[in-house]
Amino acid sequence: MTAVSAELRTPRPRLAAGGALQLLRYLAGRLVQAFIALVGMSTAVFFALRLSGDPALLLAPPNATAADIAELRRQLGLDAPVWRQYLSYLGDVAHGNLGYSYVQHEPALTLIAQRMPYTVMLALSALVLSVLFGVGAGMVMALSRGRLGERVLTPLVLAGQAMPAFWTGILLILVFSVWLRVLPSTGYSGLSSLILPAITLASLSAATIARVTRGAMLEQLSRDYVRTARSKGAGTFRLLWRHLLRNISIPILTVVALETANLLGGSVVTEMIFAWPGIGQLTVQSVSARDFPLVQAIVILASTVYIVINLVTDVAYGFIDPRIMILTKGGGVS
Amino acid sequence: MRVPKGLILAAAVLVTASTMSACSLPSTTAGSTSTGAKTTLTVDMSSYPASLDPGLQYDTDSYQVYRNVFDQLLHRDPTTNQIVPWLATTWKQTNPTTWVFTIRSGVKFSDGSPLTAADAAFSIQRILDPAFASQQNANFSAIASASGSGQQLTITTKYPSPTLLSYLTTLSVVPMAYVKKVGNAAFNLKPVGSGPYVFSSDIPGSQVVLKRNDAYWGTKPSITEADFRAVPDVASRVADLQSGKADIATDMTPDSAGQVKSDAALQVLSAPTERVSYLAFNTIHGGATDNPAVRKAISEAIDYSSLINDLEGGYAKPVDSVLTPLAFGYPASLPDYQYNPAQAKAMIQSAGAAGQTITMATSPTYDPQIVQAIQADIEAVGLKVDIQNTDQATYLKKVQSPTHSWGSIRFGQWSCSCLDADGVAYPLFHTGTIWSSYSNPAFDDLVDKARQTIDPTTRTGLYAQAYGVLAQDVPGIGLFQIESVYLASKNLQWKPDAQQSFFVANMKLAS
Repeated sequence: MTAVSAELRTPRPRLAAGGALQLLRYLAGRLVQAFIALVGMSTAVFFALRLSGDPALLLAPPNATAADIAELRRQLGLDAPVWRQYLSYLGDVAHGNLGYSYVQHEPALTLIAQRMPYTVMLALSALVLSVLFGVGAGMVMALSRGRLGERVLTPLVLAGQAMPAFWTGILLILVFSVWLRVLPSTGYSGLSSLILPAITLASLSAATIARVTRGAMLEQLSRDYVRTARSKGAGTFRLLWRHLLRNISIPILTVVALETANLLGGSVVTEMIFAWPGIGQLTVQSVSARDFPLVQAIVILASTVYIVINLVTDVAYGFIDPRIMILTKGGGVS
Repeated sequence: MRVPKGLILAAAVLVTASTMSACSLPSTTAGSTSTGAKTTLTVDMSSYPASLDPGLQYDTDSYQVYRNVFDQLLHRDPTTNQIVPWLATTWKQTNPTTWVFTIRSGVKFSDGSPLTAADAAFSIQRILDPAFASQQNANFSAIASASGSGQQLTITTKYPSPTLLSYLTTLSVVPMAYVKKVGNAAFNLKPVGSGPYVFSSDIPGSQVVLKRNDAYWGTKPSITEADFRAVPDVASRVADLQSGKADIATDMTPDSAGQVKSDAALQVLSAPTERVSYLAFNTIHGGATDNPAVRKAISEAIDYSSLINDLEGGYAKPVDSVLTPLAFGYPASLPDYQYNPAQAKAMIQSAGAAGQTITMATSPTYDPQIVQAIQADIEAVGLKVDIQNTDQATYLKKVQSPTHSWGSIRFGQWSCSCLDADGVAYPLFHTGTIWSSYSNPAFDDLVDKARQTIDPTTRTGLYAQAYGVLAQDVPGIGLFQIESVYLASKNLQWKPDAQQSFFVANMKLAS
């Protein structure tokens, strides 16, 4: 028994001294890459915004004269040459100053900080729901292939993937707020107001996660080690938790990480429908008002979240599957 | 492959657990649970106020909220639209450029300090201060200085300004001492005024809560709390009304009004505003539209009643100029625009313009259905219309460029927030202003003269002539006067007005 189960059991990751150094070097490389990506993003958004139109025109009241608009432009610092605006922008960003909203008259960072908790709250709830439902449904679909479980869940998953958020959202509001009157329709008013937007947001991610889980499960179920473990008398739960879950977790982790980064960037449609005071709504408002400093700050933040989550995911791969760590030791991971 | 039942069971537990966790979140504040006589008003707006400091922004979603917290220097009578006393009880003009106002005594800000003429003067000075970067600067740019002593406010203008009083109805008075003490940034976050409501709390981006000011000098409002919520999606605002979450929703579409007409618990409230949908012509470098006969023909090609009834759902009124009858100086004797496609076609042909292409500039801000309807109407009389749709900032840059190379015709909406003939004639059609692609020295002369006097009779006479010139030259066509559309619970008693002022103090909720 002991020999076989030792082989079946995936070994816990152990870091040798050399491994730790390797990991540090790897992390340092990734951080440099992240920095370059961030500078690139900031530059791209800066110039893209400047090509998109003059905010002074949108901010001036309709009866403003050309002189009034020129004065407004001067006040906003938009009269300076673009290269000078760019240099002072880079300088400010390097000092952690992401600018001052033209429209809302507050520091961009303050505005983002006010909205961030709502987006994080919504994103995490949606993430928990979609992981629980997605992984669960994916497993049931794989395990009951061709039987009732799969036949019931497949249309559900397909529907989840096919229904756009603006439709799911309005449908849920109609049913639970207008007809049944059990849940609030819009805005933030405690945890109950989180339920409908979280389900709306989760429905898309859950479907993706379910499909990836099902695929990974089916692949693993056909492997020899599953048959061996069964023949050695491993119980059902033991098989699922000890062997299958760890082996299917790499593809799931990848898709979950991507979904997390998407969700944390603010879900524009869901936040608009449910009047959720998060980053998504702020993004729409700032883009349509050409609120340059705010748009730049949001893009920098969203890119940072993306980069950090990708980095964390890559490191997590190594801990889940030490074979990936061994590859890193060989210097093969980019 | 056989899979044990236990394994399926384990996975099924996961699914159930996830569903359970969604349902077991506490729902303490679910639904609207009002009991007894309702004194809290919940308002759904399309966006969160950009500022609560009344010196900064003057967009509808901002002033609908902050004008309840502050008192304005002057008001307009909601039925007659005449300027009436508010914080200023009397006023007189001591010379063509000097006005003296007496400020109501006994008015206190909600922090207990008395409101004096110095506060009123300060409220003007900060808007004029370039460092403050107020977007209302242009409304008050005629003012050279403002000073206050005791209860006497003196305003001098750079030139005689007949619209000064109109703009002073939009001036909210802020407490000088408090603003100087806390600074502009803190004041914007936690405004203090003398109005019927006080700022209570907010969730940035989501809602602002106002509570009744029990020390208010005027009539005590019946609504004790007003919750202004930002709900950007129109369908969600309708759902909020239907579910009882909101009592009134602003900025509604004619479509949504039709949708709730059958709902016994809801009502549509609407009022004509001074906002007009219009077409402006490029008469300088517009190609075919440089010819007044072509412009006149286009004014007869448009099916105005179809625009009003089919596209605006009846929530609009026909007009005969870009000015509405609500404004001072409105000439009653303008010829009506007539829909006469046969005559329009003949005019296009005799002008030799048949088959020519004209370019129509627009942006997604303006209803594409209306733009397309206008395109179809004009094409029906023998011109070709090429719609150039760009985003709003690009559109503005193009049409405001002094080169007048933006095309031939553009669709827009106009309101000067001043209810005065000058607010349309000057910015839209005077030579050299950012919106004007029209130049007629005789017209400029009339408008300039009307700006130099404040005598109502002289001004009315000058505007009758000026708008007569516009009717001849047709540099623009008023399509229809826009109505503001609100949807509300049947319990709400309120009559909206032309200024879209949203004074909660004038509202009542029946229990």
